[in-house]
Amino acid sequence: MAGIDTGGHGGGRATNHDIPLIPFIDFLLCLVMFLLVTAVWNHMARIEADANVPGPPKPTPPEEVPKEKELHVSMQGDRLFQLKWKEGTTVINTIDVPRKPVEVGDDITYPDLAEKIKKEWEANGSHKAPADKKIDRAILHTDNSTEFQHVIAVLDAIYAPERDFAIGGGQVEKIPAFQVTFSSQ
Amino acid sequence: MSGHGKALSRFHQQISVPGKRLLQHVNLKFVKKSASGGGGRSVNQELPLVPFIDFLLCLVLFLLASFSASGELPIDKNVKLPNAMNSVDMIEAPMVAVSGTQILVDGIPAGSTRAIMDANRMQKIEELAEILKNKKELWTQIKPGTPFPGNVILQVDKRVPALVVKSVFQTAAFAGYPAVSFMVGKLGSGEGGE
Repeated sequence: MAGIDTGGHGGGRATNHDIPLIPFIDFLLCLVMFLLVTAVWNHMARIEADANVPGPPKPTPPEEVPKEKELHVSMQGDRLFQLKWKEGTTVINTIDVPRKPVEVGDDITYPDLAEKIKKEWEANGSHKAPADKKIDRAILHTDNSTEFQHVIAVLDAIYAPERDFAIGGGQVEKIPAFQVTFSSQ
Repeated sequence: MSGHGKALSRFHQQISVPGKRLLQHVNLKFVKKSASGGGGRSVNQELPLVPFIDFLLCLVLFLLASFSASGELPIDKNVKLPNAMNSVDMIEAPMVAVSGTQILVDGIPAGSTRAIMDANRMQKIEELAEILKNKKELWTQIKPGTPFPGNVILQVDKRVPALVVKSVFQTAAFAGYPAVSFMVGKLGSGEGGE
């Protein structure tokens, strides 16, 4: 064991003490075991999906908001996704995308859909400039029998396109090109 | 100085040849010879304890540093979450877990999905709405004057049908939580994720 030797050998009590290293090592090993057992190595994340719900009634009538283009993504049926650009109730453009799920381990992804949504945003998106504080809106529609993992795979595909966003001081960061609303209708 | 040098040498745990200490009275010469370290290299060596302790301390510090935040997230053991690439970091918000037929808010039972499945149409989940409203009221009492963020995180099993997800989603939205997030794992974090 390690010791502290002060060198004095005069009368009185000895001042040389051994540090008890073995119990100290035992304690450290117990601490390591505890930390290893309680450690969580997988980090969780989240995917945003805002709800579009009516707020509380206001005494003044709401201001007229100019209608903007919105991308409606429908996953109804097993074969196709339907992408619809709408301005209010007016349908501007409709695109069918074949439903080709790609399995990644236990999970499902839709890389073709992500690619198509990216191209659609580049062609029809309204808010692309870094200084533009608004974000294009996408609305996801699903049928009731769809499993949740497919809903997440489509949300993941909608969040794939990214745009530059000015955060001040000449700095720009990447943010998702769409803000997604999950339609619960 | 010799005393100081001795202290240093003891602290560094130098390997030294052990002297004759044991079994001096044994008559068998070959046993005595082998036991007392005679002939050949000495087999008695001390472990280098100080570097070992240094290593353990580094390991403890690393584990302590990584022991926090997301590791404390309560994940229901019955919920198998889907994974996604384009996800964002977690925030602090009420956690609604949906597994099988049970709904939990921060671990407290908050209704069942059985009625929704039986009716096969979207329904408001009264118990869930009540608990979420109470949480909102408590938050506004604790932080008066601060606008309520309205965040809620849904922890949904990957096999749950969208009908149930929509019902929980709409119940949470109408209870005053319009900023809904779905909890996911990070898919392919080494590639395109975070």
